[in-house]
Amino acid sequence: MGWAWLFLLLATYPWLLGADLASDTLASSSLIFFLSGTCLVAPCRRLKRWQAVLFAACLGFLFEARRPIPDGVLALSLVAIAIFLSSNRQLIRNTPGMLRAAAVVNVSTCLIWFLASSYSSPSPATDLTGQLFLQLLLAGIVGTIGLLPIALTQNAVLDRLSIPPAPDNP
Amino acid sequence: MDQNRQGARASYVALSVFVALWILAPSAVRRFNREAFVEFQAPALHLLGKSRDLATFWEKKSRSVEEMAAAGRDLARVNAALEIQINKFEDIRRENVRLREITHYNVPAEYMSVVARVATRDSSSWWQRIVIRKGRNDGIRPGAPVVFGNTVVGRVTAVHLTTSEIDLVTSPGFRCTAYLEGDDQNHIVLVNGVASNSLGTAKARVSVIPRDYSMPAGQPARVFTTGMGGVFPSRLILGYLDGGTYATQVGNFKESLLVPSRDLYNLQEVSVLVPLHQNPGEALMQGDQFQ
Repeated sequence: MGWAWLFLLLATYPWLLGADLASDTLASSSLIFFLSGTCLVAPCRRLKRWQAVLFAACLGFLFEARRPIPDGVLALSLVAIAIFLSSNRQLIRNTPGMLRAAAVVNVSTCLIWFLASSYSSPSPATDLTGQLFLQLLLAGIVGTIGLLPIALTQNAVLDRLSIPPAPDNP
Repeated sequence: MDQNRQGARASYVALSVFVALWILAPSAVRRFNREAFVEFQAPALHLLGKSRDLATFWEKKSRSVEEMAAAGRDLARVNAALEIQINKFEDIRRENVRLREITHYNVPAEYMSVVARVATRDSSSWWQRIVIRKGRNDGIRPGAPVVFGNTVVGRVTAVHLTTSEIDLVTSPGFRCTAYLEGDDQNHIVLVNGVASNSLGTAKARVSVIPRDYSMPAGQPARVFTTGMGGVFPSRLILGYLDGGTYATQVGNFKESLLVPSRDLYNLQEVSVLVPLHQNPGEALMQGDQFQ
C-alpha cells in the first residue's frame, strides 16, 4: 500500500507529541525527550525502502519545524539511516537487534542535532560536555525503553493495513 | 543480495544529489517546508493547551461555594483599590503628555497588548523557547516583546498562523540593553542569553557593567530595560543580578549573571506587546524568522 508511510506517520505522531509533553516537563533542566530516532526502527523492517525514506524525512522535519536547527540536518540524517536500516534488515530482525538499533540510532541522531545547533547558535559553547553527556544518556535510555510500545503501535497499524513483513531483500 | 546492494547504492547517490539540491535551493523553499510542518502540528498543540485549560476549569469548579464567595469578595476589594490607582495614573498620563508637547520630546512607541496562553515549553542547551496559542491571525508580528505584568519574558522569534514561538530572556539568541538598579549615572549594560550547561535554572549574562558600580546592599539589584531601540518599553524588569559581579578578562568592565524574576517555565499566560507601527528591527526579523 503506497500510503502506508503516511498512515504510519499519523499513528506515530501521538508518541512524538507525548515526547514534547515530557520535554515540556523537563524544560527547566534544558533536556529534550528525544524519540525521533527510535520511531524509525520498526518501520524500516516492513516498509519498502522508498516508504521508509519518506517516513524518516517527515519524522525529521516534524522535529525541526519548531526548533532553531539548520534546515534539513536531522531529516536528511534520518533518511540516510533509513536507507542503511532498510538495506541491512538482518540487523533488526530480532528484538535484541531492534533494541540495540533503537539506542544507537536515537543517540546518533540526538548527537547530530546537538552539534548542528551548536554550529548555528549565536552563543559560544563553553563547558557543555556534561550537558551533552546527559542529553545523550537520556536519548539512549528513552530510545531503548520507548521502542517496545512504539513498535507495537506501528506494527498494529501495519497489520491493519495488511502490509506483509518485508523480505530481507527489498 | 546484489540487487539489494545496488538498490542501497542508488539510494545513497539519490540522497547525495538531494542534499546538494537542498543546499542550493532558495531559502523560500526551505521556509515553506518548515512552515508546512509547523502548521501540521499546530492543531495538536492547541488541543494540548485546551485540554490543560479544561483540567484547570474542572479543578476550580470542584471548589466549594464559600471558597469562591471569599475569593470574589477579595477580588472586589482589589478592584476598588485598582480603580483609585487608575484615576491617579490617568492624571499623571495627562500631565506627561502635556510636558512632552511643551518640550517636543519623542513620543515612545505605542503597543497593542495581545494576551496568549502558553501551549508548550521547549528547552535545550541551545534554545529556551515557549510556544503560545496566538499567531499571525491575531496580529502578532516577529520581534514583538513578550511580558508578564512588568516582567520581560522574551521576544517573538517566529510567527505562524495560529501559534508563535518566543525566545526566552535566557535563550542564547536573546539580546537587549539594560540599566542596573543603584546605578545613578544610568550606564547602559548588555544582557544576552547563554547556552545552558547545568541542570539548574537557566540564566543570562549581564556584561559591560562599569568597574565602579556597586550593588545595593541587602537586596539583589534589579535589571531594567532601557527602552532604546524601540523593541521593549522602558523600565520593565528583566531580572536580578545573581550574587556579585566579577571582572572580565580584559578588566575594563565587570560581568554578572541575570536570574529571571519569574520562573519562566511555569508561566501559563503572557502578553505580547505588538507595536502599533512597524519599526525597522521588525522588518529585519521578518527576513530571518527562525533565529
